[in-house]
Amino acid sequence: MAGILKTEAGKGLALSAPASLYVGLLVAAPLGILVAYSFWTQTYVEIDKTLTWANYAEAATDPLVRHLMLRSIAIAGAVTAATVALAYPIAYFIAFRTHKKTLWLLLITIPFWSSYLLRVFSWKLILGFNGVMNSALLSMGIVTEPLTFLLYNEFAVVLTLAHAWAPFAILPIYVSLQKIDRSLLEAATDLGCSKLERFFRVTLPLTIPGIIAASLIIFIPTVGDYVTPSLVGGSQGKMVANLIQVQFGPANNWPLGATLSLVAMASVGFVAILFVILATALGRRIR
Amino acid sequence: MTTQNIIEISGVEKRFGTFVAVRDLNLELKEGEFFSLLGPSGCGKTTALRMIAGFQDHDEGTIRIGGQDMAHIPANKRPANMVFQSYAIFPHLNVGDNVAFGLRKLKLTKAGINDRVAEALEMVELGGLQSRKATELSGGQRQRVALARALVMRPKVLLLDEPLSALDKNLREAMQFEMRRLQQKLGITFVMVTHDQYEAMTMSDRIGVMFKGQLKQVDKPEVLYARPCSREVAAFIGGMNFLDAAVTGEADGKLQAQVQGFGPLTIDVNSNVAQRGPQLLAGIRPEQLEISAQKPEGYDGYLQGTVTNAAFYGENVHYHVTADGLQQPIAVSVPNYFHTVDHKQGDPVWLGVQNASVIDLGTREA
Repeated sequence: MAGILKTEAGKGLALSAPASLYVGLLVAAPLGILVAYSFWTQTYVEIDKTLTWANYAEAATDPLVRHLMLRSIAIAGAVTAATVALAYPIAYFIAFRTHKKTLWLLLITIPFWSSYLLRVFSWKLILGFNGVMNSALLSMGIVTEPLTFLLYNEFAVVLTLAHAWAPFAILPIYVSLQKIDRSLLEAATDLGCSKLERFFRVTLPLTIPGIIAASLIIFIPTVGDYVTPSLVGGSQGKMVANLIQVQFGPANNWPLGATLSLVAMASVGFVAILFVILATALGRRIR
Repeated sequence: MTTQNIIEISGVEKRFGTFVAVRDLNLELKEGEFFSLLGPSGCGKTTALRMIAGFQDHDEGTIRIGGQDMAHIPANKRPANMVFQSYAIFPHLNVGDNVAFGLRKLKLTKAGINDRVAEALEMVELGGLQSRKATELSGGQRQRVALARALVMRPKVLLLDEPLSALDKNLREAMQFEMRRLQQKLGITFVMVTHDQYEAMTMSDRIGVMFKGQLKQVDKPEVLYARPCSREVAAFIGGMNFLDAAVTGEADGKLQAQVQGFGPLTIDVNSNVAQRGPQLLAGIRPEQLEISAQKPEGYDGYLQGTVTNAAFYGENVHYHVTADGLQQPIAVSVPNYFHTVDHKQGDPVWLGVQNASVIDLGTREA
C-alpha cells in the first residue's frame, strides 16, 4: 500500500479518489438509477421491473410532453439571448471603458448576496396585479386599470431569469474581452476600420468563446428550471421540469418522470452541441 | 535634392497630465526616405510615432502628411500604415485573411484582393502561405505578415514601432537588410522607432535622436557618429571616451586645445554643437586610438599609461588604460587580426591619436 502511494500514478489516484468517489456516488449512481427506472413501469401497485420502451413511446407521442419540451427550449433560448445581449455591453464597459474593474465586478455579484428565491419573489412584487409596476403606472395615470400581462406568463419567466443569470453571462464575456490584445484593435483601425466595423470584424469574433460559454452556462440549467416557472410562470409559463416534478410527486409515476428527465437531458445536449457548432462556424465566416 | 516632403511636423507637443511626453517637435521627412527615431525607452519616440499614425492626438503644433493637415483626420483615414511592436496579427484569421483585412474595405473584386495578397506575401517571401493559421507562425513569419499586411495597403508612409525587437539576434540582422531592400525597392517612406543604435544606423538614411521628449539631433548615421551634438548623443551612439580640454586658440575652423592626457591637439570645429567656451569637452572613439607597447610613429598626441583590463570580444579586443590625472580609464578597441590579446593587465602601453579623431563636443558642463 505504501509502495503504491510512492508512484506518480498512485499519487494521482489517491488525490483524485475523494472527488471520484463523491461524483460516483452522487452523480453516476443516481443517473444509473434514473436510467433503470426509465425502462420500468408503474402499475400503481408496485413497480414492474420488466424492461420496456413504453415510457419512451409515451414521451414521444404525448403532445403535452412535446409541447412543454419545445416551450422549455424556446424559453431557455429566449432567456439566453436576452441575458447575453444585455450582458455584452456591461462586460464591454468593464473591460474597455473603466479603470475601476474590481469595483464593477463586485457590484455585479451583489445580487448573489441575497437568496435566489427572494429575488424571484421580488419580481412577483414588482410585476404583480397590485405590484410596484402597476401602482406606479396607475398613479401616473398612464393606465386606468392594472396590467395583467406582466406576471404569470413566459415573459415573466424570461425577465426573472435574465436578471438572475446576468453575472454568469457578464463574467465569461468580460474575460474574453479582457484577453484581447489592444494592439489588435489599433491594427484594425490602422487598416481602415471604423469603430463599428472594428467591433464586428475583430472584437466580436474574438469573444465568441466567451459568448458560447455564457450561453451554455445559462441555457442548460434554464431548460430544467423548476422554481421560476412555478412561481412567476403561471399556466402559460410551465416548463418541462414542472411536468417532471408532477410525475415524481402528485402523479407518483417515477418511471415516466425518469424518462422525461433523460429525454430533457438529451434534448438539451443536442441543442447545446448544435449551438456550439453553429456559433463557431459563424465566427469563422467573419473576415 | 528636389524630393518633396511627405511628412511635415512643426511645433508638436504632447502632454499626459503634467508630464510632457513630446516637446516642440519639428521634423521634415522626404519621400522615399528611411528615417529612424532613436532614443532610450520613455524618451517620447513611440508617442511621436503614434501621433503620426493618429492613435494619439497632439496638444500643440501641426502634423502634415502629403501636404494635408492631419488635425481632424482619424487614424483609419490616414495615408499611413503601421507595423506594431507585437505585430498584432489577428489570431482568428489565417495569413491570407490577415493580409487582406484592410483591402476588404476598398472596392476591389475578389480576384483583385487575392492578387494583391499574393503579391504582398511574395514580397516578404511568404508566397503561398495564405491558408496558414496565424497561431502557427514563427516570430519572423509574424513580422513578415505584419509587414505584408501594412504594405498591401500601398501607404505613403509606413510606420514601424520597434519592428525587430521581438526577434532573436541572427534573424534581426537578416531582417534589417531585408527591410532596407524592400524599402528601397518600393520607394515608400519608412519611419521606424527603435532603441537599438545599430539597427538605426544600418537601416536608416537619417536618424533623429530623442531624449526626454526632445529631438536633439537629426543627421545621417555617419555624421551622427562623427559629429554628435552633445555628450548624451555621443554616449548613446557607439562607445566614446570623454576628456576635458582647454581651448587655447581658434583659427580657420580649427581649435587649438590642451587635451587631458594627450597634450596639445588641433580639433575640427563641430558645427552641430550649440555652445563652445574655453572649457571644452573632447571625445575620442575607442576604435580611433592606436595602442602599442612602444611609442607608435606618426601620431599627433600620445598618452603613456597602464592596462587595467583586457577583454577578447571576437571581432575586436577591448582594453582599458589608465594614466595619472585621468578620472576615467580610456577605452580602446582594436580589430582582432591574429586572435591574440597583445597587452595584459598591468602592461605599460602607449596610446596614439590623430587630430582628426578628436571630436569637439562643446562647452564642458561643470
